[in-house]
Amino acid sequence: MIWAKEETLSRQELQELQLTRLKTTLKRVYEKVPAYRKKMDEAGVTCDDIKSLDDLPKLPFTVKRDMRDNYPFGMFTVPKKDLVRIHASSGTTGKPTVVGYTRNDMAMWTECVSRIACMGGATAEDVAQISFGYGMFTGALGLHYGLENIGASVIPVSSGNTQKQIMYMQDFGTTLLVATPSYALHIAEVARDMGLDPAKDLNVKKGLFGGEGMTEPMRNEMHRLWGKDFIATQNYGMSELIGPGVSGECLELCGMHINEDHFIPEIINPETGEVLPPGEKGELVITCITKEALPLIRYRTGDISRLFYEPCKCGRTTVRMENLSGRSDDMLIIRGVNVFPSQIEEVLLKIEEIGPHYEIVVDRVNYLDTMEIRVELADETLLDSYAMLGELEKRIKSNLRTVLGLDAVIKLVAPRSLRRFEGKARRVTDLRK
Amino acid sequence: MIKQLSIFIQNEVGSVASITAVLKKHNINLRAIATFDTPQFAILRMIVDQPEKAKTLLIESGFAVTMSDAIAVELEDKPGVLHDVLQLIADAGIGINYIYSIVFRQKNVPLIIINTDNLDKTKQILIEKGYSVPDQEDVYL
Repeated sequence: MIWAKEETLSRQELQELQLTRLKTTLKRVYEKVPAYRKKMDEAGVTCDDIKSLDDLPKLPFTVKRDMRDNYPFGMFTVPKKDLVRIHASSGTTGKPTVVGYTRNDMAMWTECVSRIACMGGATAEDVAQISFGYGMFTGALGLHYGLENIGASVIPVSSGNTQKQIMYMQDFGTTLLVATPSYALHIAEVARDMGLDPAKDLNVKKGLFGGEGMTEPMRNEMHRLWGKDFIATQNYGMSELIGPGVSGECLELCGMHINEDHFIPEIINPETGEVLPPGEKGELVITCITKEALPLIRYRTGDISRLFYEPCKCGRTTVRMENLSGRSDDMLIIRGVNVFPSQIEEVLLKIEEIGPHYEIVVDRVNYLDTMEIRVELADETLLDSYAMLGELEKRIKSNLRTVLGLDAVIKLVAPRSLRRFEGKARRVTDLRK
Repeated sequence: MIKQLSIFIQNEVGSVASITAVLKKHNINLRAIATFDTPQFAILRMIVDQPEKAKTLLIESGFAVTMSDAIAVELEDKPGVLHDVLQLIADAGIGINYIYSIVFRQKNVPLIIINTDNLDKTKQILIEKGYSVPDQEDVYL
């Protein structure tokens, strides 16, 4: 089901709407946010210079650093009393990034999440279990309001206490799971430990995944554990922009539809900042054109993607962003080679004899970068001989070399010995830092 | 033939003890055990009196375990007997994967556990030459 008529506008109608909204937003930030006035003045661009959407690249970028420099409320266009909600994203370094919502922002957020929930097949009949951590993270409350809005029965269980999660699934008849993909796999694993087959003994038919990317092999793993008819979609967002609700996969699974009447996407070359043509891979940049409290202009997301403007079979006309192939700040540089953890994951998940969990440890020994990848042995029949285990290690190593052009040390570990995550998985340890 | 268990262990302090802890708790008697000093991980092989039960318990405790066949051969306690067996297997063109021995038996005959790349044929030629190749139950006596 398509939730809103704005998802099916013609390109021309959409662009007219986008331009009007962009102009209004620009005026607002120029007037109300000293940091934006300064940026635009320094770049020698005025609000009147933006006459069409093609003028968007004239505007300066906003980066996470701007949010930190103006901590906590310096980028906001409204006084604090107009905020009805404040969230913050965990700052791994320094201060967190603070985001705020007016009442209208909340309504727009709820609308955007309602759309992506419908894209992923959610309906008013669903019993939706939200296993994202509630709190300052926008994921849980974002999905919560959106799913409630479409009429689903929401169970705000939050993350953790996995056995209880499974008990609720059984007792409340959960049909839809909201979680990070890694936590969804973990829940299935724990259900199996409890003697349940998630595909048969539970009624969970849909998953709306987010918080971290889901690669295709990981989606296959979802089908293996939760059943072949399980609908596994992912959606995208970040707290600086709104939280979840920026884009989501429809049932055609050919990229994530961006709510373009609220967010204008661009793809840039992350090195030069130059805007790339449709279909080319680069860093996703988003301009918020309807937000009140915190409308970021040309925000550099750090996420690597591509944009596809061809119409989708689902009937939506909105642009699709390719499922993320990594974050520019997740990228590891090992012996001069750019490596995205998602590339490693893609290789590992295609190898049946090992489990879906892994850890990457990067270190520097005698001035040389080393990469160790720990994977769990899943096929116990290989224990017949060292030769078979050795062959497995060799195969993993050689598949990785083909994709990365790098040699990694493969360390087979016992099943269930790697860390499991209830939120976003943290699989990379870089000891060089 | 007898059933042996092969268990994946990491090269970490206490990893073998964590396996024997499971056996002890459930009163499972260990008849033979073998592992080698490998750098990263090892396959621990063992013969126990209740292989099915031990396998289930170890899997429940989170270990990767497989159960497979091996040959047990009774040998006289005198020089050269093991050589005779090994020569016989070599002459038949069969490769040996590994050998270990039973730790303790109430009968006084040493028992060697052999895994080869052709278990049935190995068993057959040993029996033809008059060796005693006990089955599972006999090993627990």
